[in-house]
Amino acid sequence: MERFRANLMLCAGTGCVASGATKVRAALEKELKKRGLKEEITVVLTGCNGYCAQGPVMSVLPDEIFYQSLTVEEVPKLVEEHFLKGRPYEKLMFKEPEKKLAIPLMKDIPFFKHQVLRVLRNKGLIDPEKIEEYIARDGYQAAAKALTQMTSEEVIKVIKDSGLRGRGGAGFPTGLKWEFASKVQSKVKYMLCNGDEGDPGAFMDRSVMEADPHAVIEGMIIGAKAIEAHNGYIYVRAEYPLAVKRLQMAIEQCYDAGLLGKNILDSGFDFDLEIYQGAGAFVCGEETALMRSIEGKRGMPRPRPPFPAHKGLWDKPSVLNNVETLAQIPLIILNGSGWYRSLGTEKSSGTKVFALTGAVNNIGLIEVPMGTPLRTIIYDIGGGIKKGRKFKAVQMGGPSGGCIPESLLDLPVTYEDIVKTGAIMGSGGMVVMDDNNCMVSIAKFFLEFTADESCGKCVPCRVGTRILLDMLADITEGRGKEDDIETLQDLSRDIITSSLCGLGQTAPNPILTTIRYFMDEYESHISQKWCKAGVCRDLCTFFIDEELCKGCGACLRACPSKAIIGEKKKPHKIIQEVCVYCRTCYETCKFNSIKILPAGAHEPKHMLVETKT
Amino acid sequence: MADNTKILVVDDEPVVVRSCERILKAEGYDIEGALSGREAILKIEENNYNLVLTDLKMPEMDGITLIRWIRKSRPSIGIVVITGYPSQETIKDALDLGIIDYVPKPFTPAVLTDVTRRAFEWIKGKALEKKIEEEFPPSMLNELDRVVNQYKKKPGSSIPVLQRSQEVVGYLPPVIQKRIAKGLNISPAEIHSIVSFYSFFTMKPRGDHTIRICLGTACYVKGIETIINKIKETLGVEVGETTKDRKFSLETVRCLGACGLAPVMVIDHDTYGALSRKKAIDAINQYAPVGINETPAEEIEAVEGE
Repeated sequence: MERFRANLMLCAGTGCVASGATKVRAALEKELKKRGLKEEITVVLTGCNGYCAQGPVMSVLPDEIFYQSLTVEEVPKLVEEHFLKGRPYEKLMFKEPEKKLAIPLMKDIPFFKHQVLRVLRNKGLIDPEKIEEYIARDGYQAAAKALTQMTSEEVIKVIKDSGLRGRGGAGFPTGLKWEFASKVQSKVKYMLCNGDEGDPGAFMDRSVMEADPHAVIEGMIIGAKAIEAHNGYIYVRAEYPLAVKRLQMAIEQCYDAGLLGKNILDSGFDFDLEIYQGAGAFVCGEETALMRSIEGKRGMPRPRPPFPAHKGLWDKPSVLNNVETLAQIPLIILNGSGWYRSLGTEKSSGTKVFALTGAVNNIGLIEVPMGTPLRTIIYDIGGGIKKGRKFKAVQMGGPSGGCIPESLLDLPVTYEDIVKTGAIMGSGGMVVMDDNNCMVSIAKFFLEFTADESCGKCVPCRVGTRILLDMLADITEGRGKEDDIETLQDLSRDIITSSLCGLGQTAPNPILTTIRYFMDEYESHISQKWCKAGVCRDLCTFFIDEELCKGCGACLRACPSKAIIGEKKKPHKIIQEVCVYCRTCYETCKFNSIKILPAGAHEPKHMLVETKT
Repeated sequence: MADNTKILVVDDEPVVVRSCERILKAEGYDIEGALSGREAILKIEENNYNLVLTDLKMPEMDGITLIRWIRKSRPSIGIVVITGYPSQETIKDALDLGIIDYVPKPFTPAVLTDVTRRAFEWIKGKALEKKIEEEFPPSMLNELDRVVNQYKKKPGSSIPVLQRSQEVVGYLPPVIQKRIAKGLNISPAEIHSIVSFYSFFTMKPRGDHTIRICLGTACYVKGIETIINKIKETLGVEVGETTKDRKFSLETVRCLGACGLAPVMVIDHDTYGALSRKKAIDAINQYAPVGINETPAEEIEAVEGE
């Protein structure tokens, strides 16, 4: 292998590519060539680094200097300063938010400092399109160990002892799942990987598949050995073209290297693996539905038992594991169950990857030990709420989960503790919301999703979610009635108890948790016709507090319907008849002088006390 | 009775020709007779018939020879066989030549009118199919057949076949679904059930460029709704529709998994992140001009500053 003085590990994940990583790469290569550094310094495209919000990002090895928000224009300067003059280029470094001091090293940046990387061990360090780089970082050693030195029972025992639980959401012990399938006698069994990451707000699996596809494949080889399966499928969403491409490449490389196919590593074990692309149905994340889909049918769930471990794909014993679960397997086999248990809690061992998004400063992919408090994740890693706004809730578990309020922020993140709040761990989406979000609208957003994605098999889910959605629409549009909250709760419970699969059983969770923690918002929507966040257009009126208005004119220029009048340096006014409730003025004003009052309010003065924060 | 209902009945027995004429004339068809294969050919060369009813066993030139001639020189004419000797062999020969149906002698008026009516329906359907086929160039249909053949023997291949087919054709109208169903040897109803279930498949033609807007939680929290409204207004279409000039199709997608860049949209294969109303329209403008971006500068700042 060629050796270089420095490797520029440029992130080529979906996020950074969208922010212009491809152009930056071309610019870097051009500049390096121009400066005669082509032989000494190389640009490597890596998978998702995780720090998507600051993309395109790049780390320089071996110095470990981290650059962010790269632009084509800055590239010449960067190359000149860092690689010719040997002075790391401060302008593109991460700046500590308060004093704006540059932090050069990746490991010192708060976003990375609190993380423990296991699943994401290779992120930003290898070129995901080269099997050699994965192997160089101990890749396929675990598969070799499992295939040549261990029996199926031994593999299952290690995984069981590690306490690894399925990372897809429900948290079923992986070792146990494997054990069930291994005990069923059948010539044909299937090892399946669930890459149908459908929760809105979750992108861990996409990043793992893009950044480290071989880790998933290795996990599948080990799982196949454990249950004695010789065929496997990776089910990936069609919305993830890059993940499909990388996995396809990785599978081909494995066949060439003798890691897939007949007689793997001369162990006598055969395993064939292929990719199956989904076609856009959220319900296919459910295991029986996913198997129906691979069979080429409508992806509709079926009752269990029989469980897939007995009758799965084409009625053969099958095991379906999530991407993140599989990526952990090689580590556990190599390092043992005790090592794995050294992090996390008794019932939730190891680490968990989260997709941290929404109203936090540092958006991206993070990995933390189980049991880390939510507060640490949101404030230390996430860097707190954007623009110093007030934290309102964190949504976990996507449409199956719920919103966790500020009072529970010190809760450790484990399967057990999260379930107690009414949310679920889910696949790891964590969407942070600030006081600009209306919780009734958030519940409505998720119900729109589940009502649309319900496969239609069970009436309570198909019709019930629609009724819930209509009621929420009524509440947000000012037609809410006193007893609506009770009806919502009753109907939710009925849907939960009478639906066949996880989709229906969890669809009402967003409503139940928002009612539980934000009852006051429902009440103000229904009785006062007041959406305090100013999101529901029919339930708010915008006023300018004349005492606070400095007459800067920002809102006047921003208003798309020209509803604001006023002279410079004098308090402005909103002409209610023209206002379209777009909220633009509220977001533009730097002096908090725009106040949101109930629909049809006329006298702003007496209400102001209540809205001041 | 509609146009294109001209029939020629061919039989060496005048009584059969006359009774056919009487029965079908009463139904409103334009019908003529011929008493031999030779006469029939002469008449076909002179007139435009849509359907030929012919006997099989005739002196001089038998029915099979006549059918062969018609298939070769007038392939658009539908053929129905009337025969008193429906032996396995002759009927098989005729079926191989592509006849629509056959009527055993003796027949009742009801049977004849029924068969005739169905034959015309079939011809009409065929014409429609042909018209649609003209919309898809042969190269496209060849590619489609190649895809189907490639996957044919693999169990559970309907979804990959439909995905590839949609790539080839652009969308999956009923006629394409039928062709795929036939190729895979499964019922068109089952293919349709799959196409209608998965949101990835579309039965309507798409524009040159597909705009997919993310409706994920992060994008929602960051105000994707105002952006969708702006795009809808600019393009003059609703979600799920295609612009009149077939330049853009507007779609929404559940989550693109690029939440770090929210709000996000994808045009064809390119992702556009951290959108504002102006940035979204600017991005679309790169593909085809959709009008001047009138969003005032301050509003953009406000949204971007979010």
